[in-house]
Amino acid sequence: MAKGELQGISGQATLAADPYGERDVVHAARGDSEPPWLIDRRAEGARAFAATAMPTPALRPWRYTDVSSLAIEDHALHPPALRVEADLPPGAYAGTIAEALDSRAEVVRSHLGSLVASTEGRFVAANAARWNAGVLVHLPRGSAVERPIVVEVTAADVPAGAPSALLPRILVVAEERSEATIVVRLRSGDGPLLVPAVAEISCADHALVRLLLDGGWGAQTREFTTLRARLGRSATLEVATLAIGGRLVKQTLESLLEGEGAHSEFRGVALGDGDQHFDFVTLQDHLGPRTTSNVEIKAALAGSSRSVYYGITRVEETAAGAAAEQENRNLLLSRHAKADSDPVLEILTSEVIRCGHGATVGPVDQEALFYLQSRGLDERTALQFLVAGFFDPVARRIPLEGLGDELAAAVHAKLASADLS
Amino acid sequence: MSEGAPPAPILDVRGLKVSIAGPPGLQIVRGVDLTVRPGEVHALMGPNGSGKSTLANAIAGSPAYVVDEGCVYFQGEDITQLSPDERARRGLFLSFQYPTAIPGVTMVNLLRASLKARRGTEPPAREFLTELRETLAALKMDESFARRYVNEGFSGGEKKRAEILQLGMLKPTVAVLDETDSGLDVDALRTVAEGVNALRTPDVGILIITHYERILNYVTPDFVHVLVDGRIVRSGDAALAKRIEAQGYDPILREVNQEAATVAVAAGGDK
Repeated sequence: MAKGELQGISGQATLAADPYGERDVVHAARGDSEPPWLIDRRAEGARAFAATAMPTPALRPWRYTDVSSLAIEDHALHPPALRVEADLPPGAYAGTIAEALDSRAEVVRSHLGSLVASTEGRFVAANAARWNAGVLVHLPRGSAVERPIVVEVTAADVPAGAPSALLPRILVVAEERSEATIVVRLRSGDGPLLVPAVAEISCADHALVRLLLDGGWGAQTREFTTLRARLGRSATLEVATLAIGGRLVKQTLESLLEGEGAHSEFRGVALGDGDQHFDFVTLQDHLGPRTTSNVEIKAALAGSSRSVYYGITRVEETAAGAAAEQENRNLLLSRHAKADSDPVLEILTSEVIRCGHGATVGPVDQEALFYLQSRGLDERTALQFLVAGFFDPVARRIPLEGLGDELAAAVHAKLASADLS
Repeated sequence: MSEGAPPAPILDVRGLKVSIAGPPGLQIVRGVDLTVRPGEVHALMGPNGSGKSTLANAIAGSPAYVVDEGCVYFQGEDITQLSPDERARRGLFLSFQYPTAIPGVTMVNLLRASLKARRGTEPPAREFLTELRETLAALKMDESFARRYVNEGFSGGEKKRAEILQLGMLKPTVAVLDETDSGLDVDALRTVAEGVNALRTPDVGILIITHYERILNYVTPDFVHVLVDGRIVRSGDAALAKRIEAQGYDPILREVNQEAATVAVAAGGDK
């Protein structure tokens, strides 16, 4: 608030250009005829934004991603195009949060902000105040959605000269024994775009949710995502993330494995070139007995691109019989590419079935490269195959028709011109 | 074969000396001459550590080795400085002794890409699949094999068959088979040998590298060479292989040592 007041003194123009200030936030929400409780939540987000500093490299998850020169408040809101395609059984919902405010206000009200609090950090606070691409998937008890729900969030025509912001908010409420696959395709134009995104996923007992985040960003997009899921008894969450575009992609993926036998999987691939920067943070918090988790993050890096991985598997005292696997593998395709990897295990019970973690950073297997070249593939083509092959096991785990081919095509296209020197 | 001058060599190795890349740069192949003409099958035999695999890999252009001296000619062209893929696209094929796994790349995708690289255009889909099915059947391999990742989780025998599958599909001009017979049971050996024989045409040259003569019972060589300490010390016809089968390498090694001693004495006497 102190900041807002200072800006108020300095002049009208500055005040108008504070899209995350409480005054603007409330004004905009009223303009959109949002219900009072939601306006309050947004105002709370604005206050949190004002009170929260940008993270610094002194904080462990931010050690290799320095955002000190980034001013979120300088990024004006960019109106996105939002499209949801779904073939739903009766009672289920997939669409914008705005529309859901009429038909299922109580679902939104009780879940929005229930897993990710606006006070957690500046990006999250900005999102709480001004999210402008809200998606709700609500699966009532027992409802199974057979075909994937496809959500497209597109920020086309991002102006080249003016920094813009897109703030997606994804809310998934999967009630007992419900099941769905959700594909979120994120697209942006070439202008400078900041994307503070939040996803909250609630998986009740025996629910199964698969979520694919497909980040087809433009070259000047910077994404900061916080995803958190809470899982009930025997619930399953499978998240896969594809990071190929964008200038900076930072994703924090967390699962709270509360119910007995809950299972979460986080899988990700990143393909970098130029000065692209990827940063993945994962946390699997094993709270319930016999909970299991898998993490598999793979990055292939050309040019002077960089990937960072910091992941914690925590097995609490209450999680007897838990099992977890955590793996981060990085392929360096050029001399200037760089990867930092830090998988961490925190085990607080002695009754663990198995807990593994591994990290590798290195060039492609030279024997494999020679093998492919000996079959006539030139070095670049051979590398395209090796990288596509490196990612393929991840794509194969996502039951989405054509995904493997789609990913392979994206790898071939990007590496056709990538800096492999 | 008609009378007159023999056809020009398709593979000609001249005074080749090869070391392991990187320090300490141990020289393994220490001066090899070998000429393969179209239609010929050569067998290169020798005890372990004699340099057979190094020679095969150097011919294929492996970056794990450096050529210190000498040249490799392919159809009259010096290919010593060419990359492995340039050699392959000209029609050279190496069947690996230990084929490496290529995770995430299926056999069918590799074959399609290899054929595309070799021919410069994508092979017609229907024709390609028909040929793939026929080649798999000839090698007694299940069709599911083509959908598996290359060499990943393959048994020793499957790996060797997979090499012959590629050989059969790519139809090279010169095939170098590095111990393709090792680790095979009799049935697999016969299948692999049939695959090699199928390639045996008047235009193709084959170099079979082997420790034992087993495969030579199924593929009769026109020439047999014995490599010892990086040099070819004996060349002959199929009878040489029979001699090794009967006596092992020891008699030849003794003769070679004796000759070396004689040469040393003669050299001393010259002074």
